[in-house]
Amino acid sequence: MSENKTAKPIVEMRHISKAFGPVQALKDINLTLGEGEILGLVGDNSAGKSTLMKVMTGAYQRDSGDVLVSGKPTHFKNPHESREEGIEMIYQDFALCGNMDIAQNIFLGRWPKKGLFVDRNRMYAEADQVLKRLKVDVNSVFQKVESLSGGRQQSVAIARAISFNPRVVVLDEPTANLSVMATERLLETMAELKRQGVAQIIISHRLTDIFEVGDRIMVMKRGQNVGDRYIQHTTEQEVLELIVSGTPETALTADQALAGRAA
Amino acid sequence: MTSTTLAPARRRLPLELIGGWEVGLLIFMVLLYIAGVFINPKFFGQTDAISAILRDTARYGVMAAGMTFVIINKDLDLSVGSTFGLVATVFSLAFSTSYYDLGIVPSLAAAIIVGLGVGLLNGFFVTVLRVPSFITTLTMLFIGRGFVLGLTGGKTVSYSEKALTAPWFFQIGETNALGFNNQILIFALVTIVGMFVLAKTRWGYETYATGGNELAATYAGIPTRRVRMRAYVLSALAATLAGLMSVAQDKGITSQYGQGAELIVIAAVIVGGASILGGRGRLLGGALGAILVTLIDKVLREGIPMTRTVKVGDVEMQVQGMAQLPPGAVPAFLGLILLISVLIEPWIIRRNVFPRLWARLRGRPLPPIIEMGGVAIEGAQTKGSSASDRSMRARGPIGHFLARRDAAAIILAVVLWCAGLYLRPDFWGSLDNTFNLMLSFTEVGLLSIGMTYVIANGDIDLSVGSVLALSAATCAFLMKQMGFDPWQAVFIALIAGAAAGVVNALLTVSFGLPAFVATLGMFYMARGIGAWLTAGRQLSSFPEAFNLLGRKLIDALAYFGVSPAKGTLLYDIAAALSVQTIFMVIVAILAGIVLAKTPFGQMVYATGGNRRAADYAGISTARVRAISLVFSALCAAFAGVIYVAFLRSFNPSAGQLRELDAIAAVIIGGGSIFGGYGTVLGALAGAAVIALIRALLSLQLILGNGQSFVMPQHWVNVFIGLILVIAVVGDIWFRQGDLAGSVRRRFSRKSGPARETAHV
Repeated sequence: MSENKTAKPIVEMRHISKAFGPVQALKDINLTLGEGEILGLVGDNSAGKSTLMKVMTGAYQRDSGDVLVSGKPTHFKNPHESREEGIEMIYQDFALCGNMDIAQNIFLGRWPKKGLFVDRNRMYAEADQVLKRLKVDVNSVFQKVESLSGGRQQSVAIARAISFNPRVVVLDEPTANLSVMATERLLETMAELKRQGVAQIIISHRLTDIFEVGDRIMVMKRGQNVGDRYIQHTTEQEVLELIVSGTPETALTADQALAGRAA
Repeated sequence: MTSTTLAPARRRLPLELIGGWEVGLLIFMVLLYIAGVFINPKFFGQTDAISAILRDTARYGVMAAGMTFVIINKDLDLSVGSTFGLVATVFSLAFSTSYYDLGIVPSLAAAIIVGLGVGLLNGFFVTVLRVPSFITTLTMLFIGRGFVLGLTGGKTVSYSEKALTAPWFFQIGETNALGFNNQILIFALVTIVGMFVLAKTRWGYETYATGGNELAATYAGIPTRRVRMRAYVLSALAATLAGLMSVAQDKGITSQYGQGAELIVIAAVIVGGASILGGRGRLLGGALGAILVTLIDKVLREGIPMTRTVKVGDVEMQVQGMAQLPPGAVPAFLGLILLISVLIEPWIIRRNVFPRLWARLRGRPLPPIIEMGGVAIEGAQTKGSSASDRSMRARGPIGHFLARRDAAAIILAVVLWCAGLYLRPDFWGSLDNTFNLMLSFTEVGLLSIGMTYVIANGDIDLSVGSVLALSAATCAFLMKQMGFDPWQAVFIALIAGAAAGVVNALLTVSFGLPAFVATLGMFYMARGIGAWLTAGRQLSSFPEAFNLLGRKLIDALAYFGVSPAKGTLLYDIAAALSVQTIFMVIVAILAGIVLAKTPFGQMVYATGGNRRAADYAGISTARVRAISLVFSALCAAFAGVIYVAFLRSFNPSAGQLRELDAIAAVIIGGGSIFGGYGTVLGALAGAAVIALIRALLSLQLILGNGQSFVMPQHWVNVFIGLILVIAVVGDIWFRQGDLAGSVRRRFSRKSGPARETAHV
C-alpha cells in the first residue's frame, strides 16, 4: 500500500556484514521496517534470514554496519537488551516450558512478585487480559502448555511476546508446524497486532501466508538482499524468480521497484 | 556446495581403525612406561610385572570393548561390574561342590544365560520403556550387587580341586606355552574383532549413526532400538566373558567380585577418546585406555615399592616400604580420572587443541574448532511425552486430589502403614517403632528435599549418599583426631559437603557435563575421600552436646533441664520425636515454600521444563542449577552430621544406596526423571513410602509354625532397586504418557465413535 511509503522506519539496518569463520553469512545488507508494517523475509535455506534477525536482536554481534531503532543507533549485546527497546522474537519451537501453565509461561522469568512470593492473583488476571487483547480463546490460563496443540502453544508464545508491549515482533517460521486452521488463526492474530500498531517481521517459506497478511516482502540470497517489493505490486511468480535467480542488481528498494513498474 | 568430482580409485580410504587420539595415547603410554622404568626398575623393568598388568587389564579390556558400543550409542552401562560379579557367582555356585555341583558345561550355560538376561533387561528398559540409561543400569548395579551378596551370603566360594576336572576351561586363566597368560590372548582377540566390527561393518556404522543423531538415524530407517539393545547385550556378554575369565584364573570368588569395575571400564573407554555424548570413539582407544587405567588402579592399590631413608638418632637407615593408599581411597582417584577424561573429549578433541597448537608452532593457519562449546556439548534435553490434562477435567475434592502428581505417594504411604499395623499389630503402633520409622524417614527425607530441587531442574544427583559419607567422615575425623570442638567440626563438615556440591555444579554448569556423569564422578570421589580420612581409625565417643543432634527431643530437653513430666502428652511427643526429625521438618517447610511460592521456585521448574526457553526469558539457568546442586549436597552433608550424632560413630558404609532411596522418593512423589516436576511435599510422601517399605521388609515376622523370619538387608536393597525402576517406568508411562487413558480410550472407541479432542 502506498501509505507505507511515508511511514517512518522503526528499525533500520544499514550495511550489515557478518562472517562465521570463512563463511560470509551477511554481505552489506540493508533492511527497513516501517511502523505497523508486516514485512515478509524469504529466501532459500542458508540465505541468512535468521542470522539477520539474530543480529537485529543482539543474539549475534555484527562485524560491521549499523542498527537503528527509531532512528537511534544501538549495540545490543544480547536479546534481553533489544527486548528493552521493544523488539521481541518468537522462536520456531515457541520456547515455552511444557510443565508450566499458560500464565506462568506468559510471565516466564518475570513472574509478578508480592514480597518474597509470586503474586498469583495478579499473574493470572494479567495473563487473562493479554489473551483477551490477542483475541485468542484458551480454556483456562491454568492449563499446562504441554497439553495444548501446536497452534495454541503458538498463541501462548505470541501472548508472551505481546505482554512486553513490543513495537516489533519477529516470527521465525511461525506456520511451519501448524495445521491449516491454526495458520488461519495465526494470520488473523497478526492482522490484529498490526491494527494495534505493532510492526512484524515474518520469516517463512510459505509465500501464500506472506501474501495474505504482509505489506512488503524482502528476498535474501547468500547473505544479500536480492529483492524488495510491495505485496500489492508483485506476484508470487516474481518473488519465486527472485529467490531462484535474484542478484544484488535486482534488489532495488520497494519504492524503486514500484517506480520502475510504473515507468 | 560445489559439484563433487569422483575420487580416483587408487585414493587411500581412511583407515578408521585408529586415529590421532589413539596414536597420541600410545606414545604417551610408551613415554610413561620409560619413565616408570627409570623411576622404579623393580616394578616396571620386569616382564613378569608387565605380563601381570596385561593379564589384569584383559578383563577390563574385554568389558571396555562392550562398553565402547554402549557409549558410542550415547548410552551408559553402569551395571558391568555387577554383571561381572553376578556371572562369576552364578558359575561358581553352579560348579562348586558345596552348592549345586553341576558339570562345567551346564555351569557355563547358566552363567551365560544370566549375563544375556542382564543385557536384554537393560536394553528392554532403556529402549522399550524409555527409562534413562543411567537410572536403569545404576539400579541394575545395586540389584546385581544385592544378588551377589544374597546368593553367596557374603562368603568366599572356592573349587580349586574340582577345577582339575575341566582343564580346557580353566586353562583360560593360565599361562600358555608361549609364556603369557591366555587371558591376554582373549583380550587381543576381542579387541581386534571389535575394532573391525565397529569400524568396518554396518553394525558399527549403525552404532555411530545412532549415537550421533538418533532421530536422523531413525528417519534413515536404522532400527535404533535394536542397535541400542544390541550394544547392551554386547556389553553384558563382554562382562560375562570377563567374569568367566576371572573365575578361570581364581577358581573361586569372593562376594566383593567386580565391585567398582564399572568405574575402571567407563574411565578406560572415555580416556580412549570416546565421547560421553555419543557418536565418537574407537575400540582400540578403549583397549589402550583400559591398560592405562588398570595400571593407575594397580599402582594406587598395591603401591609402589620404594626405599626411604629414616634417621634414628645419628644412624641413617634404609627402610623398604610401599607407598600406597588405604583401600577405600582408590575410588577417589579413579573418580577424578573419570571426570578429567570426560572433559577431554569436548574440551580437547572437539576443540582441536593439539592440531591447533601444532599449526601455531609451525605458523600455519589454525584448523577450525569443530564445534563451538557451550550448549553444543550438552546432550539434548529429553522431554517426557505430553502429560494429560487430567487435572483440568478433575471434578470435586477427591478428583482434584487424585489428579495431583503426588497422590499416589500419599495413598501408598497410608496403605503401607496400615499393612504394617496388620502384620505386627503388637508392635507397629508403638512409640518405639514410630520413633524408629521417623528416624529412617528423616534421613531419606532430608536427602530427597535437596534431590527434589535437582530433579525438578532436569538434573540428577547421584552423589548424595557419598556426600553424606564425606561429611560424616569429616565431622568424626575432626572431632576425634584433630580435637575440634563440635560446632567447628559440624561447620567444616557442612563446608566439605557444600564444596562437593560446588564441584558438581562447576562440572555440570560451567563445563557442560551431563549431571549424571559429574555426580557419578563425585559418587566415587566423595566416598573415597571419606574412607581415606577415616581409614583404620576408630571414630566414636564424641561429646554429648554433639550427640544431642541425633537424640530424642526428650533427651535434648533433659540436657537443658526443661523436660516435661512423665505421662503427659507433651512427654510422649517429645519421646517419639527426635531433634533431627524436627530439623528436617523445618528444612522441608522452608524448601517447600521456596519451591512452590517464590520466583526462585518457578525458575527451577522453568529450567527443568525447557532450559532454552528459560534462558531466552532471562532466567540465569546456570545459577539456578548450581544453587540446586549445592543445596542438594548441603542437605546430604546435614544428613551426614546427623548420622554421626545418631550412631555415635562413623561407619564407612554410611549413606550407601541412599542416592537410590532419594531418587526413588522424589519420583514416587511426583517428580519426573526428565525434569520440570516434583514438590517437597511429594518427595516427603515418597520418602515415607521408602522408609515404610524398608521397615516392612526388615520386620521380624512370626510365621505360623512359630518360627520368626527376617529378610536379609541385601535382599531389601534389591527390592528398593525394583521400586525405583517401577516408579520411573510408572512416571514415564502413566503420569506423563497417560497410558491408562489411552487404554481406556481404545476400549471406549470400540463401543462408540471416538471422542475427538477439542484442540485444532
